[in-house]
Amino acid sequence: MLKGTKTLKTTLATLAVAALATAGLTGCSAGANVGGTLTYVTFQDSWTHADPQRNYTGRDIAWFGSYMHRTLTAYDRAEGAAGSAVVPDLATDTGTASNDNKTWEFTLRDGVSFEDGTPITCEDIKYGVSRTFATDVITDGPGYAISMLDIPSAEDGTSVYKGPYATEGNDTAAFDKAIVCSNDNKTITFNLKRAVGDFNYTTTYLSFGPVPKAADNGDQYDLNPVSSGPYKIESYKAKDSMVLVRNENWNKDSDPLRATRANPDKIVVKFGVAEEVRDQLFLTNSDPNAMSLDALLPTNLPTVFADDGSVLPEWEGRAINVYDPYVRFAFVNVKKLNCLPVRQAIYYAKDFNGLITLAGGQAFNGDPADGVIKPLMGLDYKKTTGYEDIGTSPNIEKAKALMEQAKTECPDLYARVTDKNRGIVYDIADSETNKKAAAIWIDSLAQAGMVIKFNFIEAGSYYSVVMDPTKQNDLSAAGWAPDWANASTVIPELFTTAGGFNLTQNADDPAYAEFEKLSNAALVEPDRKKQGEQWAALNQYVMDQMWVIPGTFSKTQEIWGSGLGGVFFWEPQGAPSFGDIYIK
Amino acid sequence: MSGLLAYVSRRLAVTFLILLAVSFAVYLIFAFLPFDPASLTCGKNCNDPGIIEANRIRLGYDKPFYEQYWVFLVGLFAGRNYGEGAAAIHCAAPSFGYSFQQHACVTDLIGEALPVTLALAIGALVLWLILGIGLGVLSARFRGRVLDTVSTIFVLIGTSLPTFLTGLMLIIFVVIKWHLLPFPAGGYLSPFEDFPGWLNTMILPWITLAFAYAALYTRFVRSQVIETSTEDYIRTARAKGLSEGVILGKHTLRAALAPIATMAGLDFAGLMGGAILTEAVFNLPGLGRLSLGAVLDYDLPIIVATTLLAAAIVVMMNLVLDLVYAFIDPRVRV
Repeated sequence: MLKGTKTLKTTLATLAVAALATAGLTGCSAGANVGGTLTYVTFQDSWTHADPQRNYTGRDIAWFGSYMHRTLTAYDRAEGAAGSAVVPDLATDTGTASNDNKTWEFTLRDGVSFEDGTPITCEDIKYGVSRTFATDVITDGPGYAISMLDIPSAEDGTSVYKGPYATEGNDTAAFDKAIVCSNDNKTITFNLKRAVGDFNYTTTYLSFGPVPKAADNGDQYDLNPVSSGPYKIESYKAKDSMVLVRNENWNKDSDPLRATRANPDKIVVKFGVAEEVRDQLFLTNSDPNAMSLDALLPTNLPTVFADDGSVLPEWEGRAINVYDPYVRFAFVNVKKLNCLPVRQAIYYAKDFNGLITLAGGQAFNGDPADGVIKPLMGLDYKKTTGYEDIGTSPNIEKAKALMEQAKTECPDLYARVTDKNRGIVYDIADSETNKKAAAIWIDSLAQAGMVIKFNFIEAGSYYSVVMDPTKQNDLSAAGWAPDWANASTVIPELFTTAGGFNLTQNADDPAYAEFEKLSNAALVEPDRKKQGEQWAALNQYVMDQMWVIPGTFSKTQEIWGSGLGGVFFWEPQGAPSFGDIYIK
Repeated sequence: MSGLLAYVSRRLAVTFLILLAVSFAVYLIFAFLPFDPASLTCGKNCNDPGIIEANRIRLGYDKPFYEQYWVFLVGLFAGRNYGEGAAAIHCAAPSFGYSFQQHACVTDLIGEALPVTLALAIGALVLWLILGIGLGVLSARFRGRVLDTVSTIFVLIGTSLPTFLTGLMLIIFVVIKWHLLPFPAGGYLSPFEDFPGWLNTMILPWITLAFAYAALYTRFVRSQVIETSTEDYIRTARAKGLSEGVILGKHTLRAALAPIATMAGLDFAGLMGGAILTEAVFNLPGLGRLSLGAVLDYDLPIIVATTLLAAAIVVMMNLVLDLVYAFIDPRVRV
């Protein structure tokens, strides 16, 4: 998922230990107390979305998935890589694939129900998934149902099925063929248009969760979604609060994942708390049973963390500083910077040290990245090679040498890049930090004889501008995290023409055809270990072609009150383990 | 009296035209902004021009802006409908449209935010008038003495501290560090449902706003009173043997009141547009927060509605002031 103003989400991690963990046996919160009120505090005015089909940020999915919305499958609740194992949730197992991974079947558990006690059936899940297709109403959610289900596209490229609300020109029959319910309404079959070996990871998205048709009121369902989990909404008001209370109709026996968790009696979210006030609440431990939903302000980091990023002794057990799922980088518009030595020269002249120090230092902002796959991805990560002579300080000599090479190889681009009136143009969101970063870029590239200019774009419209090829310039700042623990949600998304977030304009690059072939092969590779090697090789390919200028493997900081236990960082969602938190 | 009626109706007609012009201007500005509301509806991982285009048509953004503006005007009197099937939404007249970001009809959102801002503005107004006029009169009366110096220091601090700083310091010290007041539950409580809770929520915002404004008023009242007290008719009053109290109350203050009323009226109208910083610091869901959020989200229906409301309040306040003038100062006749 791209990193942006409203956009976050996702996941990552390794599958290595996945096979070891099984549902029901997983890291249960032994010794956790039951009862009490757990309070969350955030400066945001409301949830981005509460509607399961519209939840897309990792934090929102982790929160609502822990407390309210159940899906067919879910990530295990465990610390470290074990948390990335997929376990059954509403389904009895993690699904059965057939037809070369183009057909997936899940059977629902007995005793699963909505908050009013109505049993959850296959039709409820089918109805939930159908809402994703109403793209004008159910906005911001993941589009996997649209891109994977075997439903034809109309001439304009949109699905012939328009969701449950459309009244005319809607091909409901096509949808009924793509998702089939068994006669007893307990088994759901998904027919996909291409092989998806890890479709049961896709179904961890809340967008594959049930919605009772009778309660659906379109856009407004975002304010009062019906619960299928241990808690239900008592009240929800933006700029005010959300209160969750126990769902009396939740059947513990049908939910091994949450049965030993769900400890507090009540969960309260306070919205709209000014950032400095929010931090003070935690720094003074005013409410020991509260947890912040946001990162600490940079100015307050030294109070809690040492210079090396470790938690200070008096804050032990109340704060963490960890890698989030994101990799930050700048897309290279290959159509405009169509000369490899120039692209490499930019990389060599980049002042990593200066930029990271500006953003809070390596201990808090993150480490210099060596590609677009994070080491936490385990199987898919391998350190890229060929740029060992790049340190944290710019290698100006090497950059100069590459520019000399460019002078003869691509004189036109060389002339533009060194012309003080033209130069390289970098698209970046308009912020105070980015303006300071621009000065660092300008200075270090100038040492290698390059000119760089900045196009500051208002943050809210940043992605809509750079995703327009007519407006995009030479370099565009971006961030991305995998949607689940497979680089199939990174490499093809960022660098193939079929991807949802390819800003490299690399389709006409001579190196592209071979890349696409390798990427498509990796996408359908059934051997996960071999697939991992393929993704690692493609990450290297991207670096060899310098389709991105790497940035950082970024970090995040979390803080909570002294009265809470069970907090750990839930890697696949890039968020705290909300569902495991209890009052001591 | 019929003259007054004619005057008021003429002014109201002008007000209506001004509001029409303001709303048109807002639409015009947004029509030429370089962003695409339809692409915002498409979600993140979306570069499918088909979906964006289809949404543009369904949401009416494909139409020229003057047509969108006309639909807006009709909606004001006839209400508006959005979507179809289970997702259908009706916003009753007077409809300012539907906010897809807030999942609510804009008229309802305004209806919720207005009382908050009204409570904030009225409470702060009362507080700063008492403090500002009182301190201003006293420091004029005891010019050059200790009290005057103290009030000068107050004015200096009050005018130089920004409200977000005053507000933050009040919360951090009064609530979080000293526990003199409980941490507000968040949001806004209705005084009719929970009066002590309402007071608890509002007292610090009132003080924050009043502190900034009272300082300005102290300085203003002081100079007005000093200026008036040098007038001939005050000397006459004093020569007649009237007590200082009567002179101050009946003659000096009365004359100084007209400009103070003007200032207070316009400041109040300005606050009704939303005290953005104060509302943000204290998490009050008033008009300021509503407008700010709408601007950040490009939520056009809300921006139009809050802009219109702010314009309407300023224009109406001017009219009210003109009428009030006649009563304060008998020399003024409308």
